[in-house]
Amino acid sequence: MHKAFVIAVREYNAAVRTKAFLISLVVFPVLIGGSVGLQLLLKDKVDTAEKRFAVIDRTPGEKLVEKLAVAAQARNTTEIFDRPGGKQIKPAFTVERVASGDERREAVDQQRFDLSERVRDGDLFGFLEIGSGVVELAGLPPDAADAANDDDAPPGPSPNDRFLMRYQSNSPTFDAFQRWAEKVVNEAAKESRYAAAGLPAEKVKAAVRPVPLVTKGLTRRNTATGRFDEARDENPIASMLVPGGLLMLMFMLILIGSTPLMQGVVEEKMQRIAEVLLGSVRPFDLMLGKLLGLVGVSVTLAAVYLSGAYWAARHYGYAEFVSVEVLSWFLVYLVLGVLMYGSLFVAVGAACTDLRETQAMLWPVMLLAMVPMFVWMNVVREPNSVFSTVASYVPTATPMLMLVRVAVPPGIAWWQPVVGMVGVLAATLACVYAAGRIFRVGLLMQGKAATPRELLRWVFEA
Amino acid sequence: MTRANDTAVVIRGVTKTFGAHTAVNDLNLTVPRGTVYGFIGPNGSGKTTTLRMIMRILHPDLGEVEVLGGRTMRAANDRVGYLPEERGLYKSMTVRNVLQFYAELKGVRRARPAIDEWLERMGLAEWAGKKVQALSKGMAQKVQFIAAVVSKPDLVLLDEPFSGLDPVNLETLREAVLDLRRGGATVIFSTHDMNVAERMCDSIFMIYRGKKVLDGTLESIQAAYGSDTVRVRLDSNGGVPGSMPGVLKLTDFGRYQELRLADGVDSQAVLAALMARGRVSHFELARPSLHDIFVRIAAPETVVTAGNNHA
Repeated sequence: MHKAFVIAVREYNAAVRTKAFLISLVVFPVLIGGSVGLQLLLKDKVDTAEKRFAVIDRTPGEKLVEKLAVAAQARNTTEIFDRPGGKQIKPAFTVERVASGDERREAVDQQRFDLSERVRDGDLFGFLEIGSGVVELAGLPPDAADAANDDDAPPGPSPNDRFLMRYQSNSPTFDAFQRWAEKVVNEAAKESRYAAAGLPAEKVKAAVRPVPLVTKGLTRRNTATGRFDEARDENPIASMLVPGGLLMLMFMLILIGSTPLMQGVVEEKMQRIAEVLLGSVRPFDLMLGKLLGLVGVSVTLAAVYLSGAYWAARHYGYAEFVSVEVLSWFLVYLVLGVLMYGSLFVAVGAACTDLRETQAMLWPVMLLAMVPMFVWMNVVREPNSVFSTVASYVPTATPMLMLVRVAVPPGIAWWQPVVGMVGVLAATLACVYAAGRIFRVGLLMQGKAATPRELLRWVFEA
Repeated sequence: MTRANDTAVVIRGVTKTFGAHTAVNDLNLTVPRGTVYGFIGPNGSGKTTTLRMIMRILHPDLGEVEVLGGRTMRAANDRVGYLPEERGLYKSMTVRNVLQFYAELKGVRRARPAIDEWLERMGLAEWAGKKVQALSKGMAQKVQFIAAVVSKPDLVLLDEPFSGLDPVNLETLREAVLDLRRGGATVIFSTHDMNVAERMCDSIFMIYRGKKVLDGTLESIQAAYGSDTVRVRLDSNGGVPGSMPGVLKLTDFGRYQELRLADGVDSQAVLAALMARGRVSHFELARPSLHDIFVRIAAPETVVTAGNNHA
C-alpha cells in the first residue's frame, strides 16, 4: 500500500506540475466563458449597412406601405442606435414602394422575377408583397392556410395570396426585416379592420390585451418572524444551466486526467519503464497508485472550479442551486467516476503499444462517457420520468445523470443517489478488477495491440 | 546440495512459452551468492525471459524459481535490483527525482545521500537537476544502473548493461559492478560482449534456443572445449598454407594465425609439419576464447567436433 502511495504521488506530480495541466485548468472556463463572452462581444458586430426592400402593397389605397415607410423612417432615426446619438448597432431598412400593376398571373410572375433579379444583382435585399385582402374583415378560410405554403402548388399567384404577406429573398437566415414588417403591417391592418367594423381602436385593444404569467417558487413560512415570505421568482434558465454545468464539469474532469494517464501507461510500455516498476511493485498496486494519483488530480481541478463556481453563484444570487448537498454528491460521484473510467483508460493503455492504437481502442469507452451528454436535457426537464430514473441507475451514466437529478430543484428522494452510488461502486470495482488483469498481462506485451478476444481472455482466465 | 543461504538464485525445471514459441525450455541453474554470473546467448535465445522470471515479472509455466531463498510468486522484491535492456526512465523527470522515485519504490525512505554519492561517483553530479531526456545514451545507462543499485540490493540483475557504452563509461560501470560483488552482492548480467564476460564473470551461463548449453566457470568451460586451438606465427613465406592435414579451420588474425585441430590430432605433429615449411617464431597451445565457443554453438555450420572432446 505504501508503494501504491509512492506511485500516486509521482503520478500526481507528473500531471499537476506541467504546463499542460495549467493550460487545461484554464481551458475549461475559457471554453464555457469564451462562448458566452464571444457572443456578447459579437452582439454589436453586426452588418449595419443599409438594407433596401421593395414593397408591393395590393390593398386598396396602398395605405399599408405608407405606414411601413413611416415606421422605417422612425426606426432608422432611433431604434438602430444603442442609445440616442450613440453607435449604430442594427442595419437601416429602406422601403421602396413598387406599384402593384397588373393582377394577372403572368404579370405578377413577371414582376416577381424582375424583383428577384434585382435581389440577385444586390440592388435589393428582398421584397415584400402585401395581399389585397389583408385589411378585409373576412379573412382566409382556416383550412386554406396550410395550402398557402404548399410547395406543390402551381406557380403564379394563388387565390390565397390575397390574405398573406409574401416575402422573397435569397438570405433566408436574416429574419429581422420579416419580424419587423410583420409587426408593423399587422398593427396597421388591425387598425384598418377595427375602423371597418366600426369599433373604437382603444376599446378593442383593452378587450384583447394579453394576460401575463409569472413563475414563482414555493411559499415558505419564515420561522423567525412567523410570517410568510414572498416566494422567489423562479429562473428556468438557471435551473437548467446549473445541472448542465455540473454535468459538463464532471465529463471534463473525468476526461482531462484520464487521457494523460493512459498516455503515461503507453509511455511506460514503450520506454520499458513498466519492467522496472513491476520489479518493485505488484501490478495491482501499480494500477491502484495510478488511479489514486488521478483521483487527486481530478479533485484538485474540481476544488478549483467548484470554489470558483460557488463564489460566482453566491455573487450573482444563485447560491441555492449549488447547495452543499449537491456539491457533496458531486465529489462522491467524481471520485467513483474517475476510478471507473480511469481504470478503463488504463486498461486501454496497457493493451496498446503506441498512442495511435489507443485511438481505435478508446472509442467504446468514450462513447460510454458521452451517452449522458446526449440525454441530459431530457433528464433536466423531467428528472422524475421513468426514462430519467432508469438512465440515472446505469452505472456508467450515474455519476453524471444522477447528479443532474440531484441538482434540479426540488431534487429527488435521499435514497436514490445512495442506491446509484452503490451501483457505481460495484461497477467501479468490476472495472478496476478487469483493468488490473489486463494491465498485468498487457504491460509487458510488446509489438502489437491486443484484440478484444485476447482482452476477454486476460480478464477471465486465471 | 547447496544450502539455501549459499545460493542467490535456483531455477529448477523451468519452462516458459509465449503462444507457440518456447522461450525457455526445462532450465536448471544455480547462482551462488556473492558471484558475478554472466548470461550469454544470441538475441532471442531466452536471456531476458530468464531474467524477468528471476525478477518475478513473469511466472514460469512449469518449474520453480527460488530467489534469495524465497519461493513466493509475488513480484516486487525489495532486495532485487533490475536494469532493463535500454531505456526504463521517465524522460520528463529530473535525474534526481527519477532515482528518488525508484528508491522509494524499493522501500528506501531517505535515499538522497546515496543518490548523490552514486551520481558523484558516476560523474553525473551536475546532471542531477536535469531532465532525463537531456542525457546522452551513456549517461542514461549510468543513471539506469544507479536506479538498479541505489537501494543496496542483495541481488542485481542487469540486462545488457554494457551495450553502447564508450570505453571510459564501460570501465566505470565495470568497476562499479565488481564493487557490488566486493560488497557481498550477487550480480547477474547478460551481455553480447564476450571480452567483458571473460574478464568479469566468475561463472558463465549460455542459453541457446531456450536451452542451457554452457554453465560453469570460464576455466571449466574452456577445459570442456579442449585444447584444440593453436596460435602460430611463421617468419617467412606467407604463413600457414590454406590447407594442412589435421587442421579443421584456419583464422588469420594478421599478426598470428589460429588453427583449430581436428579431433585426436597431435599438436606436436602439426608443429613438426610447420617447422618443415619454415621458421616458427611463435607456437602456443591456446584455449578457445569464449567468443570462439559462442560462435561454435550459435553458428551451426561450425559445430563439427565441438563438445566431443570432453576429457
